[in-house]
Amino acid sequence: MTRIRHVVAAELSKLLSLPSTAVAFAAMVLGPVAVTFLNARNAAYTDPAQAVLSAAPIGTVGAIVLGVVAMSGEYRSGPQESGGGRQITSTLTAMPHRAWLLVAKAIVVVLLVAVAAAFAFLLALVCAHHVLGGGEAGGVPARLFGAAAYWAFTALIALAVTVFTRSGILPLIVLIANGSLVSLSYLLFKVAPAARYLPDLAGIRLFADEDHLAMADALDPVTGGLVMGAWTTGLLAVAALVLHRRDA
Amino acid sequence: MLSIEKLGKRRGSRVILADVDLRAEPGKVTAFLGPNGAGKSSTLRILLGLDRPTSGTALVHGRAYRSLRDPLRTVGSMLDGPGAHPSRTARAHLAWIARSNGIPRRRVAEVLEQVGLAAHGRGRVGGFSLGMGRRLGLAAALLGEPEALVLDEPVNGLDAEGVRRLRGLVRAHAADGGTVLLSSHLMGEVAAVADDVVVISGGRVVAAGPLSDVTRGHASLEDAYFALTGYERAEGA
Repeated sequence: MTRIRHVVAAELSKLLSLPSTAVAFAAMVLGPVAVTFLNARNAAYTDPAQAVLSAAPIGTVGAIVLGVVAMSGEYRSGPQESGGGRQITSTLTAMPHRAWLLVAKAIVVVLLVAVAAAFAFLLALVCAHHVLGGGEAGGVPARLFGAAAYWAFTALIALAVTVFTRSGILPLIVLIANGSLVSLSYLLFKVAPAARYLPDLAGIRLFADEDHLAMADALDPVTGGLVMGAWTTGLLAVAALVLHRRDA
Repeated sequence: MLSIEKLGKRRGSRVILADVDLRAEPGKVTAFLGPNGAGKSSTLRILLGLDRPTSGTALVHGRAYRSLRDPLRTVGSMLDGPGAHPSRTARAHLAWIARSNGIPRRRVAEVLEQVGLAAHGRGRVGGFSLGMGRRLGLAAALLGEPEALVLDEPVNGLDAEGVRRLRGLVRAHAADGGTVLLSSHLMGEVAAVADDVVVISGGRVVAAGPLSDVTRGHASLEDAYFALTGYERAEGA
């Protein structure tokens, strides 16, 4: 059995040497900073921290991209000229313990999301303070932490889903559309209130406070965070099982 | 020592492999021959823990590949293509593989040199030719200084210099006491390097043994191969 620390190091090296990782990272940092700036500029918010939190949902786009490419890269075919072949063959011969492999990928994805979130919120706070001037609201640091957790859960769900699809296209389209353009979960919630237990809605109050949320009856931050965490853990567990049993 | 016993594989109702037996011993080059689609790659993929057999066992030094600790230090392998992400450089590809098995970083430059790819270490895999892709795959196989080499169609796409280099490397590996198992559908290339031969056709082993035994009674390995696989009629040769 390969040592988990080697597997994590290999997966980190892999993800950091992919151009799409830089794109995802930039999206996680620049997206929220830009939206914070616009929200502050349009005086939609008076409190800088609130302006930053209002920009947190856009960061899920980069988180989704990161989670997806961490897995979809394995299944991308090389060009025919160089003999085709997919990276998953190299990955699984080097690291045959597939559950550890998925754990390592999850650790690396969470690590990168955490670093991106730290950069994003720091820059966005500086930006909002610059536009709006001072002002400090209680409980904001906790909710910024909550926003980072929401991104991390989202990235991990994207990772797990991509294990099932073995291609990045479908998860990218569905998850990004659901996270930014039209929330299917939210539409469903309008019809069936139980939809608030769906992963993206369950965790929404990790960063959004009740006054700034269009959704009534959202789960409280702790319950919601636990529900979203349970979805994430469950999906990863099923993904590990699928990966373990499936022919590469 | 690589030992495969009574290996069977089905996909749905289709039989891919039936009762495949194969041994590759240290100090020898074992050639695994058969037409395309005969089951060579399927056998090697099971040996390397990529696919699961329906029945039988495939062991490396008596252990399942998936249970090996740092497997690349025991078995180096190359399957179809380089198995690298097209946007990564050759060096970055080998670097993560080295990390995954605790292989010293200096090996990356060493194997690039060894396969004749030193000048292309910073080139992206997506821009590689077929021959360069094969060389990169071979470099990855050699990275962990493994006792056994498992190479699927290693000659494919190599130029004359590459074939010569590969032959030398494979012979040297066996001469040092290592185990080499290589598959091919090209007889001429194999006759020049193999000690033992296993011929597979339609998912079944049709002949196995030392090269001289398998070719006895035939003009060449090629004739023996066509006679054994019944391929000459299909080819019209």
